[in-house]
Amino acid sequence: MENLILQKDKLPELIEKLSSNHVLYGPTEENGFSLFKQISNFDELNLKYLLTRVPPKSLIFKQTETLFKFTPGRKGTVTSTEINEEKSLIFAIRPCDARSFKILDPVFEGNFEDPFYISKRKNTVLIGLTCNSPERNCFCTSFDDSPGSTENVDILFTDLDDRFYVEVVTEKGKNLIKSVEDIFEKSTKNDEDSKRNIVTKSVESITRKMDLDGLVPKLDKMFDHELWHNTAQKCIGCGICTYLCPTCHCFDMQDESSLREGARIRVWDSCMYPEYTQHASGHNPRAIRMSRVRNRVYHKFSYFPKNEDITACTGCGRCIDYCPVNIDIIDVIEEVGVISNE
Amino acid sequence: MVDQQLLIDEVKKVVSRDDVKYVIGYKKGTTGFTISPAFAYSTEYADKFIFNPLCKKNLAAYPLLEDKLPLKREEKEDKRKIGIVAKGCDTRALVQIIQEKGLNREDLVIIGIPCSGVIDYKKITAMFPNETAYSTIEEEQGFYKITINGKVHEIAKEELLADHCTSCIAPNPVIYDVLIGEEVEPWDLEEHKNLDVLEEKDVGERWEYWKEHFDRCIRCYACREACPLCYCKECMADLLNPQWIRRSVNLSENTAWNIMRAYHLAGRCVGCGECESVCPVNIPLMELNKEIEKDVKNIFEYSAGMDSEEKPLFGTFRPDDPEEFIM
Amino acid sequence: MTATETNSEMEEFEPNIIGFLCNWCSYAGADLAGTSRIQYPPNIKIIKVMCSGRVNPMYVVNALQQGADGVLIGGCHPGDCHYQHGNLLARRRMAILKNLLEFIGIDSRRVRMTWVSAAEGRKFAEVIKEVTEEIKKIGPMKDIQRVNEW
Repeated sequence: MENLILQKDKLPELIEKLSSNHVLYGPTEENGFSLFKQISNFDELNLKYLLTRVPPKSLIFKQTETLFKFTPGRKGTVTSTEINEEKSLIFAIRPCDARSFKILDPVFEGNFEDPFYISKRKNTVLIGLTCNSPERNCFCTSFDDSPGSTENVDILFTDLDDRFYVEVVTEKGKNLIKSVEDIFEKSTKNDEDSKRNIVTKSVESITRKMDLDGLVPKLDKMFDHELWHNTAQKCIGCGICTYLCPTCHCFDMQDESSLREGARIRVWDSCMYPEYTQHASGHNPRAIRMSRVRNRVYHKFSYFPKNEDITACTGCGRCIDYCPVNIDIIDVIEEVGVISNE
Repeated sequence: MVDQQLLIDEVKKVVSRDDVKYVIGYKKGTTGFTISPAFAYSTEYADKFIFNPLCKKNLAAYPLLEDKLPLKREEKEDKRKIGIVAKGCDTRALVQIIQEKGLNREDLVIIGIPCSGVIDYKKITAMFPNETAYSTIEEEQGFYKITINGKVHEIAKEELLADHCTSCIAPNPVIYDVLIGEEVEPWDLEEHKNLDVLEEKDVGERWEYWKEHFDRCIRCYACREACPLCYCKECMADLLNPQWIRRSVNLSENTAWNIMRAYHLAGRCVGCGECESVCPVNIPLMELNKEIEKDVKNIFEYSAGMDSEEKPLFGTFRPDDPEEFIM
Repeated sequence: MTATETNSEMEEFEPNIIGFLCNWCSYAGADLAGTSRIQYPPNIKIIKVMCSGRVNPMYVVNALQQGADGVLIGGCHPGDCHYQHGNLLARRRMAILKNLLEFIGIDSRRVRMTWVSAAEGRKFAEVIKEVTEEIKKIGPMKDIQRVNEW
């Protein structure tokens, strides 16, 4: 399908049309920051912010998910939760956040298939939005990604001031566009160039860079290095880095019940909490913060690439932005480099 | 304005003492307006120490957070003191912890810093969203002078001042071993932002207000971890038997969590604002804390963290405590 | 909704009230009310605790979450506590809890406290009557009730 143009004044119409037959999620302003929420009209949409505070993984990998229901007793029953096949759509997802699903897919669609994730992923169309002005802690370019990458989205919008340049990437995207084709216009070579210019400018404005060269073997050699102790000393274990990370996917399972019924639920968990690894015996293999902080770095930059051939980081910069004690992942990786070169 | 050299000299003096393990303080962060907690084990490291209005983080949580590894055979526990750079509210937190016997006063060397209010990180990053570095930041007669790339920005203090500072009752350290510079004049106390507005609403409207905030809570418990007074070995929110609060994230459980967090800090909260500033979804937690602080002051004439000899608020009573609500 | 409709709905509403009563005074007072055949509304469900000072504020919040429309805490009169001053500690806690609930937007009249001695069966019945009436007026507690989304 060739690329299209959407005039900005047509956007409300598009939102309205799409939300009539899809659950449409878009960034909304919430108490001074941005959050993905279900929207039904254009006014709720707010594209002022670059990244939403909580990443869109929360729409596919829900914070709380019911796995099955049960009733206790001799005649007790177990009922599996119905899989929700609702068609949904995430509008204005940034390319880095879209890339997070590429990292989450092997977790939930690999050896163990998670029906909840898979059905949501399958039924969700990702409409990306190019980042015209990256923020100070953006570093997606370090992962061969770009602020205008079409790689992980179904459709990509690029803001060209008075209009959007629309690239339709996948079959899913094509099918969606077909239903609302009449509000789009044909694009010209000129529009394509404008997009390219915007992306080039964006890439240039990204100042931070993470050196991933040979990182896995480097990390292998320094598991017991005192760097981890030094980094972890200031960590307060708040878990913001993991809750706001678009690629963190650890969860906890618990039974919740009243007298007559109950359910097994799955909730997000964080490796920054001591309870995360606490055994029933009381023993905790990661008893100190040093081992927890180290685990976070190793999981993202060593174990995950070893297992799935992809680094579990998208370069969105949320963990750097919101860490209250300035544990800067780029800085940590830089130090790893310096130490291994010594 | 705190004299940086004086601070560094003092830190050096403390860290070179034989009975001091390390000194906790602030250094410049890696990017933008961030400040990083710093741990000086040597006098050389002390050169990195700074104090400026961006140093909001309450360091009082760190002495209790220290990772303690199991001792090796014949190894003795390192019982040396910990040095800590502390503002007024930080020392109040220390006093409160000492009062609750979480720490011993003898185990601390407190380098007190008179503070005339700190900058809210969220406010300053909103003002300069894409700045990757600043060179200096100074306070001068109701203005902050921020130098970025050689350009000086003058910004009125109240635009950047953290909300909780306007009702701060201890700008000067409550306890200290050394004081850097001169004590500052306490300022006229204002009531915490928004409290009067909320108090005038009726119960239903207030619920609407809080409902919206609690609904957004992602229960990361960052508010708890950042709080210097939340140092229970096992938090009631993590208990499984009994499970006071379920793990599922919904309005009911989120409200229960937020009530209990605020309640467990009644008469203990020192108003440093850490919980609110770390909250990733901007829940105005200080409004809850400040409301309780106000009640505690009005009803029991008690302020947390001012006197380490005092008994904890809920560990004591007076025969004439008000009881008009009792039937 | 018309006024009559509201009234009829309110009349149908029978509140659930959880009573945390101390073993030595209030519970004995309730016992006396029973043995003396004094009538009081059946809306109260009593949980015996050893002392009103044992009542963790979380009990109150959990009760409200799990379907209680009101909570009553009963203790000995000041000076009569069998643990010397448990009731006076409870008094402080409840004063703050009530204010906090009110501030969050939960009517603080839902949480009540009373001193009832073992000899005050009649007072106990009256307290229950009054609390029940009041909570009927306030209406059901829905705001923070646990909704099992599963």
